[in-house]
Amino acid sequence: MQKDEPPKKTAPDGDDRILVDRVVAGDRRAFEPLVRKHERRVFRVALAVLGNIEDAEEAMQDTFVKAFRHLDQFRKESRFTTWLTRIAVNEAIQKRNARKNFVPLTEAENAKEQFAPKRYEPWKSNPEQLYGKHELHRIVEDAIQSLPQIYREAFVLRDVEELSAEEAAEALGISVPALKSRLLRARLMMRETLAARFEEPATLKTKIVHKAVDVGTAVAMRLMRAAGR
Amino acid sequence: MKTMDCKDVLANLACYIDGEGSEELRHALEEHMSRCRRCRVVFDTTGTMLKIVTDAEPFEVPLSVSARLYTRLEKVLSEM
Repeated sequence: MQKDEPPKKTAPDGDDRILVDRVVAGDRRAFEPLVRKHERRVFRVALAVLGNIEDAEEAMQDTFVKAFRHLDQFRKESRFTTWLTRIAVNEAIQKRNARKNFVPLTEAENAKEQFAPKRYEPWKSNPEQLYGKHELHRIVEDAIQSLPQIYREAFVLRDVEELSAEEAAEALGISVPALKSRLLRARLMMRETLAARFEEPATLKTKIVHKAVDVGTAVAMRLMRAAGR
Repeated sequence: MKTMDCKDVLANLACYIDGEGSEELRHALEEHMSRCRRCRVVFDTTGTMLKIVTDAEPFEVPLSVSARLYTRLEKVLSEM
């Protein structure tokens, strides 16, 4: 198989179904465009779960081998993307669990309390123009990699790979409310991490003004709640 | 709907960003944010963060990783 430049835009899912039908009917060459279209996503998802390139590579290879061998089991009630992503997540999770040093991270341990934002300064206008394209890419990737795994995989599936909440939950084998709760935390953590790069540095004057406004707002809200009782 | 506090807003932030939730909920969130600077900053900057992530250069599979994938698949497909 020769690798050409992958298409930048994702083709509609209908194309996947046609290709799947061709492979199942015996046309093995039709598997290549499927791989080409989805390898980036599969690798991305495996990397989100495993956190390192070597393991993610192995998981990606195993995902496509498994997908090819079980393509006739793709029932088409879900999108091919979701089906394949589910395999990728499972392969990656199996690899992760098999690691000798693996310590399971339970949601309960990590999310006892609601995540509280700490940074409340506005960001600079046009924050994307503050850094070059490559640097911005690295800043975003580093921030994603710094997320704890369960938040990283939810964020990557939903906000990076743009699966629907239902598809991301299905791929991760969790409920939609659980996905949404992880996603909220992931987004707040990403915001917090990136704030260090994009925040408008506060002068002493703005700090004092903001503090006064925040205290005033808190008092006003308390009064409103008391009045509403 | 009762007046929302900052914790309620935070709990419903993702829902609001994704354009979900009832009209009533959205109204209550907007009402709170019109008065609360901190929640407004959190909402605005979370939206900006998502835009930065979406607009960033797409992630690419390293070429050597991709080449090894195609080599392995070629082998597997030829054996079946």
